[in-house]
Amino acid sequence: MPHTGQCLCGQVRLTVDGEPLGARSCWCRDCQRIASGSATVNVLFPEEAVHYEGEISTIRMTADSGNTVERGFCPQCGAQLYSKTIEPAGMPMRVRAGTLDDPELMAPSATIFVDSAPAWAVMDTTLPRYSRGLDSPLLEESA
Amino acid sequence: MTAPYSGSCNCGAVTVTISAEPVWVRQCWCGQCQKAAAGSATNNALFATDAMTVNGDVAWKGYTAASGNTVEQGFCPSCGTPIFGRNSSRPSSWVVRLGFLDGDHDLKPTTAIWLEEAPEWAMIDPALEQFTRQPPPPPQAP
Repeated sequence: MPHTGQCLCGQVRLTVDGEPLGARSCWCRDCQRIASGSATVNVLFPEEAVHYEGEISTIRMTADSGNTVERGFCPQCGAQLYSKTIEPAGMPMRVRAGTLDDPELMAPSATIFVDSAPAWAVMDTTLPRYSRGLDSPLLEESA
Repeated sequence: MTAPYSGSCNCGAVTVTISAEPVWVRQCWCGQCQKAAAGSATNNALFATDAMTVNGDVAWKGYTAASGNTVEQGFCPSCGTPIFGRNSSRPSSWVVRLGFLDGDHDLKPTTAIWLEEAPEWAMIDPALEQFTRQPPPPPQAP
């Protein structure tokens, strides 16, 4: 069975004919703007498995990682749909968990860009927490 | 930091300045908010609209909430950054999404609402006042 999803207003629909490769929460500053002050929660899929129907607006930006990313959102309701890396190529596509019909399809297994999280952020300390991207230093388990 | 607050979307097309303190700051886990907030809760500071100066175009889209009220999301049409929420029951104030606000403000949620719709893996600060659904309205002035 494919995984399905939609934006807030239903104008954009999503079908994924593949299984998630992982899921993580991202506290980079751009993501906090995207996620209304929270971390984005992203379910990773191979890009070729993800199919959208409907009108999508896109914007390309240089992310805090230094990568060039394309972020997609619904032009009608503003719901954030995905982020994909244009350069370097070959990285999994990040589908925003809230757009999946089953937002609990996969629980986050790591937290990234913890350095830029607000002081009030609550994180699961049993998961690996990276100061920035996945190649950055891990935070020590809290005592 | 206290007022004035300023904010900017990810592409910079919309900026807002706010000359007052918020009425409240809440975190909302309703299903619609999870769609608007990339899978997390929205974090919302309620401000009087007459204290806000908005520069740039804001796109709006509404829906009828479970309460029967019309809820509208305001976002940047260029980059999609969520900026505002407004509710027909509160015509003179809008919420501003906390991620939209710049820098070192000290605003943080004190209440978490609609917890019955939060995902299993949601991390919610136990120190927050918590409601399974909508909190009751404030007492009426005498």
